[in-house]
Amino acid sequence: MSATSRFLPRADLDRFFTALAADGRRVIGPTVVDGSIVHDELSSFAELPNGWTADTAPGSYRLRATGLDRAFDYNVGVTSWKRFTHPPIIPLTRGRREGGHVVVEPVEAESPRLAFVGVRACELAALRIQDRAMRAGPLGDADHIARGDAALVVAVECATAAGTCFCTSMGTGPEVEDGADIVLSELDDGFVVRIGTDAGADVVDRLDLRPAAPVESERAATQVAAVRAAIGDPVPTDGLPTRLRAALDHPRWAEVAERCLACANCTLVCPTCFCTSVAVASDLDGVEGTTERTWDSCFSLGFGRVAGDANFRPKVRDRYRQWLTHKFSTWWDQFGSSGCVGCGRCIAWCPVGIDVREELKAIAPPGAPSGPIPWPLSPAEGRAPAALAAVAPASHVTATVQGVHFETADTASLQLSTDDPALLAALPGQFVMVELPGFAIPPISVSRILPDGLNLTIRSVGPSTAVLTGLTNGAQVSLRGPLGRGWPIEAAVGRDVVIVAGGIGLAPLRPLIDAIVADRPRFGAVRLYLGARTPRDRLFVAEMNALAGRTDLEVSEIVDRAGPEWLGKVGIVTQLFDHAPWDGTRATAFMCGPERMMTATASTLEHRGVTADNTWLTLERNMACGVGTCGHCQLGPFFVCRDGPVFSLAELGSAFGREGL
Amino acid sequence: MTAPLPVEHEHQSSRAAAHQRPRIGVVKFASCDGCQLTLLDLEDELLAIAEKVDVVEFAEATSRRSGGPFDVLFVEGSISAPEQVEEITRLRAVTKVLVTIGACATAGGIQAIRNWFDHEEIRHAVYPEPRYVESLAMSRPVADFVAVDAELRGCPISPAQLREFLIALVTGRRPQLPDEAVCLECKRRGVVCVAVARGIPCLGPVTKTGCGAICPAYGRGCYGCFGPRESANTASLAAWLSDGRNASDVSRLFTGFTAWSEPFRKIIDAHGGPPRSVPAPTETPDA
Repeated sequence: MSATSRFLPRADLDRFFTALAADGRRVIGPTVVDGSIVHDELSSFAELPNGWTADTAPGSYRLRATGLDRAFDYNVGVTSWKRFTHPPIIPLTRGRREGGHVVVEPVEAESPRLAFVGVRACELAALRIQDRAMRAGPLGDADHIARGDAALVVAVECATAAGTCFCTSMGTGPEVEDGADIVLSELDDGFVVRIGTDAGADVVDRLDLRPAAPVESERAATQVAAVRAAIGDPVPTDGLPTRLRAALDHPRWAEVAERCLACANCTLVCPTCFCTSVAVASDLDGVEGTTERTWDSCFSLGFGRVAGDANFRPKVRDRYRQWLTHKFSTWWDQFGSSGCVGCGRCIAWCPVGIDVREELKAIAPPGAPSGPIPWPLSPAEGRAPAALAAVAPASHVTATVQGVHFETADTASLQLSTDDPALLAALPGQFVMVELPGFAIPPISVSRILPDGLNLTIRSVGPSTAVLTGLTNGAQVSLRGPLGRGWPIEAAVGRDVVIVAGGIGLAPLRPLIDAIVADRPRFGAVRLYLGARTPRDRLFVAEMNALAGRTDLEVSEIVDRAGPEWLGKVGIVTQLFDHAPWDGTRATAFMCGPERMMTATASTLEHRGVTADNTWLTLERNMACGVGTCGHCQLGPFFVCRDGPVFSLAELGSAFGREGL
Repeated sequence: MTAPLPVEHEHQSSRAAAHQRPRIGVVKFASCDGCQLTLLDLEDELLAIAEKVDVVEFAEATSRRSGGPFDVLFVEGSISAPEQVEEITRLRAVTKVLVTIGACATAGGIQAIRNWFDHEEIRHAVYPEPRYVESLAMSRPVADFVAVDAELRGCPISPAQLREFLIALVTGRRPQLPDEAVCLECKRRGVVCVAVARGIPCLGPVTKTGCGAICPAYGRGCYGCFGPRESANTASLAAWLSDGRNASDVSRLFTGFTAWSEPFRKIIDAHGGPPRSVPAPTETPDA
């Protein structure tokens, strides 16, 4: 690498294009299409937006001729570079299901050799930020990583400031500090060229350029300094993540929801928003099935939907709050930086001109936070981005049904055999994604870990779970996993154990019970409290009866509604222990069930003296990728699939049970 | 007893198999038949689909007739005449899954613009001899009269959504029919927003996706033929569009194929009803 800047005369711009192409790259750069500057594949630099700029304002973007022979006098293009690193639609898997046999194969990640020309400082930061998000979790997003790694980045320092720019506030620009392979500063007669990496040097060295004169470098510096001055500091960010998280109940959320169309444009033009959904397709025979990853948005109602048609963010207010707090606050907890780079696209491309700078000022004004901090993490002590796991979860491993046992009329346990070492190393509380080609892919908790396989207990609530519960011996499914963080059994060693289950919630608790029973002497008193809607909805009845017969365990059951055949207790599960004669301060509690049951249980346990850091629960969310890259399962600062699904109440803080998060 | 059609005699075995296949019907009320034709436009898959289902009623495609029962009945058209009310009620009683298709069946159609006008005045404007025509004062969606299990939107419906619905039907999974805004489709396709970049009024943000963003891709604003999406914030969009436009111009933007849908209707009502600049009946010089 060379520290010296070079100078590329304007007349030689074509030679630069040729050098990029000679490096075996397709060149993606700005060009004018349909009255806008978009990023597209270029066949020469004659297609650059020479003599054009764009005036932007809330809800407005207009191209304007400058009359100048300059190619980069605009700020950011309509489309962000994520179109190329995180494409709108990519194939994920191809599967076949014939005669019960199932094979699902991931589609290989693509990594076209592209050169991105015209990347601004804010966009460079965005590429870095999105990349960090897509590398986090146990697997990361292979396609995103491959595409990003293959691209050569030619950055351009801004020479103008648009009305929607605020990179200065977000600390991302306008100066290009590092991260680009090549950096250009456009002057009237040519370009000051800086080299950032060896790959950049390879290209620039072919051009045989003279060093830039001091006056040229100085002119470039003056130009970008003027841009910084023009933008000012529109969004004071000091303490912003904390100010925002303390403003979750601000009335302004409802006001902005009156204007917000929830149309998702802000998220789709955002260069860091990465949320996606999985679309499933199949042929008419139901034999061939494919899945695709498509851009999605937290502004769409379907994004917050979970099994059984419940929805965590029904109101536009909740969706706007999710987006803004994620971008400016919880992104810090997840990835150690802001999720906003100040490019201003969300302002310009909002069809009704909602200005995120104004909303931030109104909702989280500079100064002291306005309310209590809802969860304990803060940017300073935020979790480090999760490292790639040493042993990766199994990806699309075929497992065979060895036994089917109907626990209730609508709930079946599938005994699956596999020799996959990752699956066999599943921990109590972890889950797997279960795929049958052509069907939506549900996350299912492991309900028993066997030496040669896993049990999954599945309640039929929709077509996917209906077909899974209808499988017979010899049929196959494709599994990804084990995923997520399991129950922290070690935390309960030497302590009393309280386990509270509601309905199907007993399934993820069963491997925990198995583990405790197998290692019984290491724990104090062990108490199981089981609730079900009716006697017929009780799970694992024979097993629970057997446990109840033991002298070293206490098992109590209750049902919401009983028939004449039920001689046991009737009511809600908390009635089993709200006056029980045990000391909660010595207990570690584990619970799973419907969210309302867990809220009630949490409060009863607190009254009984069980502390928040000793109360563990597993959350249900809409998990689509299972590894923290699709964004569906976010809850405040957490990805439930990756950081959970098991959490302590202390970790969740008031995010637990809060409406609309 | 009516003799079975000869063609069915010749195919006893396929008839037996047909009992296992879902019985499908396609019927229409006040509409142009365009949505039914979308079924026939599924040329590549049509034969394969026909093997999976038993089409017992589809006037556009077959001379077979059936009064029911139907496992799935696709209903095109709005309810616009008194006998249609009776007929849809009868059909509902013999149908397991009733699916409305198209803007007429799901929202009342373009003909629902008459709902804002005097019925007699409209009848005289359209028909030279209105006494021969029985019609209701309003053109209304099927769901105003009977329970609807699923709907396919659009004018006409999207072949892709119809294909998805049919495949899901025969393979037993849930059809994926997103209720998101057209904007997502524009952005995925890389279509530059016509509203923001060119100031063209566009209903995309409040309209349900499914068309593939055809109009914006050709530089036009969306005119909402798929009707309102979930959480359609038409009030905010109308307020934004009111800048530089009079009430009648704002109302006109919403007065289209799905004007009678509630989120669009309330904007039209708030802006003085549909624009009144309906062309006057052509003057024919007296002989």
